[in-house]
Amino acid sequence: MSYIGRRFLHMVLVLWAIATILFLMFRLMPGDPSTAYIDPTFTGEQRQLVLQQFGLDRPLYEQYFIFLKNLAHGEFGLSFRYRQPVLGLMLSVLPNTLLLTLTALFIAYALGGLFGALLAWKRGSLLETASIPIVLTTRAMPDFWLGMLVLAVFAFGLGWFPSGGANVAGARYASEWDRILSFDYLRHLALPVLTLVAYLQGLPALLMRSNMLEVMREEFVTMARMKGLPERTIMLRHAARNALLPLLTAFAISFGQLIGGNVVVETVFSWPGLGRMLVDAVANSDYPLAQGAFLVIAFVLVFMNFVADLFYGLLDPRVAHGSG
Amino acid sequence: MHPLTLSRRALLASVASTALVAPVLAAGDPGDPIRKLVILSAAQASDPEEFQAAQLLAQAWRQLGLDIEVRGMPRPQLADLVWNTRDKWDMTMWRMVGRPERSDPDEFAYNLFNPATAATGYDFIGYMNPDYMKLADAQRAELDKEKRKQILYKVQDAINEDQPYIFLVYPKNVLAYDKNIWKQQSVIEQSGIGIRNFWTFLRAEPLTSQKDMICNATEAMLALNPLYISGAIDSWLTEIIWDRLMRMGPDGLPIPWAAEKVIQVDPLTVDCVLRPGQKWHDGKPMTTDDVVFSFKAPAMADKSPMYKPFVASIAEVSATDDKTVRFKLKAPSAAFAASTLAKINLIPKHVWEPILTDLMNKPQNAETVQEEHPVGSGPYKVNRFKFTEEIVLDANKDYWETPKPDRVIMRIITNTSAALGMLPKGEINFLTDYRGDPKLLAELAKQNPNIEVVSTIDMGFRFLAPNQRRPPFSDPAFRRALSLATNRQMMAAAAWNGFAVPANSIISPALKFWSKPGIDDIKMDMEAAKKILKDAGYILVDGKLHYPAGVKETIAVN
Repeated sequence: MSYIGRRFLHMVLVLWAIATILFLMFRLMPGDPSTAYIDPTFTGEQRQLVLQQFGLDRPLYEQYFIFLKNLAHGEFGLSFRYRQPVLGLMLSVLPNTLLLTLTALFIAYALGGLFGALLAWKRGSLLETASIPIVLTTRAMPDFWLGMLVLAVFAFGLGWFPSGGANVAGARYASEWDRILSFDYLRHLALPVLTLVAYLQGLPALLMRSNMLEVMREEFVTMARMKGLPERTIMLRHAARNALLPLLTAFAISFGQLIGGNVVVETVFSWPGLGRMLVDAVANSDYPLAQGAFLVIAFVLVFMNFVADLFYGLLDPRVAHGSG
Repeated sequence: MHPLTLSRRALLASVASTALVAPVLAAGDPGDPIRKLVILSAAQASDPEEFQAAQLLAQAWRQLGLDIEVRGMPRPQLADLVWNTRDKWDMTMWRMVGRPERSDPDEFAYNLFNPATAATGYDFIGYMNPDYMKLADAQRAELDKEKRKQILYKVQDAINEDQPYIFLVYPKNVLAYDKNIWKQQSVIEQSGIGIRNFWTFLRAEPLTSQKDMICNATEAMLALNPLYISGAIDSWLTEIIWDRLMRMGPDGLPIPWAAEKVIQVDPLTVDCVLRPGQKWHDGKPMTTDDVVFSFKAPAMADKSPMYKPFVASIAEVSATDDKTVRFKLKAPSAAFAASTLAKINLIPKHVWEPILTDLMNKPQNAETVQEEHPVGSGPYKVNRFKFTEEIVLDANKDYWETPKPDRVIMRIITNTSAALGMLPKGEINFLTDYRGDPKLLAELAKQNPNIEVVSTIDMGFRFLAPNQRRPPFSDPAFRRALSLATNRQMMAAAAWNGFAVPANSIISPALKFWSKPGIDDIKMDMEAAKKILKDAGYILVDGKLHYPAGVKETIAVN
């Protein structure tokens, strides 16, 4: 219990530090949001009004305390550009990002994990020799380039998939669920997912392979062999299950990173997600929205770490009882 | 070796100057060498045209004996530096963008060089010329169009004479559509704006069963709010959802619209007679009360700060009968039609009065209001919107001129190349926002004969702004020399890939009625530029330009 408590306290501290750094970072960056309104009819008086409206005319420490106070109440403030509450804006695009990220992650980790296990099993075979460079290459390809390539082939070339967005223009749906469950939505989701999967599969594949190789040297595997179990059972039931643990951590952390890190894929495929909103906000000095988006990402990342730690504690009691 | 020579020369110079402390400076002795001058520009990645133009300027002006550096930086930082520290920079690349209401030259002529705004407003270059302001005031007060045009010719001559800006080019807007879907003659090109405009949205005739105009925007929309000027993309849609008393016509001149007639009763009085039978999208009739309210709302307690300047010229607005609204102005204003009657969105009083009343006791202003179902009286009604994804508008069948398309669908396509690919595939059928290389679009049209590309000279312009608070830019002769040493033709061809034309005025040739013929025909002449500098007393010493005799360099390079 005290282990969980300690980890929780740690998490809160990390989040506070991140919030503080974010707050300072945006305000110390050159340029302020009023420059977006420069226009022949824009006067110095109006500029003051804009700054006042955003609370930017107050001293920095005062802004900081207001920011922390609001944050403690779960309020992220009003976006400077949209003039709407940040939370609502983020929630409106979060489902798209979650769907894209989770679908891609599940596919990448399922395929990658299985493939990694296979590579370990067939160690030294032609399959392994040929596959590892391919896995490494797809992992190393820049995702915007890969995305454009996928678009060029499957959308513009073969015409199998749409070139962007989340729905065909002007499509009508009874509800948000109808929309998300529609075939049209899936078709639009296909290419961004494919790109992300190609980009993500390398880590689980290689991780799984090396874990398997390690596990396969353990005594219980030898024991299973001695019992005369079929090779497939040994691999899937015994070795793979034990090699899965680090994959779980990698999954949790990747999820956290991807929530806001899909910027490139979201832009290439015009996918309306959180990453794109974040980049727009940063480029336009929309502090509250950018802070909010970064905080959500940080929160998910830290929280997923926390969850992974808890899992470790449960699965391997040595972790929880350790001195750390 | 080099640094040594330099320091030796510096030493000699300092010895020489100490030797000459008191004695007379012979006339013709050069002044101080001109410091290194810095051109600020957007970073290359964010605006390659602008950055390249700055490089071309630097190259050309070095031939005059100047030491010039181009400094690229992110745009927000650039704007902050230029706007908020007005004496801390030499020159900056800058631009004015076109908007329908800017088809009237008043906004530029009056505001850009107005000394009253030099401290914190738009005269950020610190240009002060009382003679110019007399002309700017005169054109605003002259209600006779022909006479006003003559004054605006003088305005353009004065600018040409003084070169407060070094104008570079008027860029071209390049857009495209599928002419198998939209009848070519019905897609209207608005001067200085292009084919994406109110008239096309209203009158483009569908040729097939595809009656949806599917458009693209490169950035997310921010709001659909008739009291918030939230951005260019938003304005394309707000102007077809909310109607206006007048509209800027395809030729750039205002024409009566929701007002059937606009009558100048006397220099200070304008009557607008409403077209009968107009309705709001919720079915309620539009009354003179609504119209009066629409022109009062922007000035109510600073709740709509961005529209407020556009009603500042109104002293009083009232209904004289059930179809006439009378405007009393504070001063005669030639631009009233364009900058107020064709700018202010008509809003229903029954929707906005309660909203504004509710806001009176709150810190928020009307810009924070997003109606779930926006109500206007324009040719399109809002069906639904997701600002980062798609906005769907339905034709308003009750409108007095039935829109030809069934729907206008604005898709947010962040990937410019993808938008290009979508056009021949029919995923969009009107490319309303294109920020890529115009050559790529031309090539696409070559491969797909059904795609029609239309390029339009913009009413906006690109320029270099010299800071006239700092010598040598305070000297008109120096600015004239810089201007003459600028090769605008080459700049249009090289930096803008041919999609721009040379500029030398605040009034683009797109605005045919107001633009002075020939004003933009300015050719590079390096010899003439050198002669102007020489005549003004600037002296070349060892290839480096010095100030006229007796002038000291007072500013440190930063």
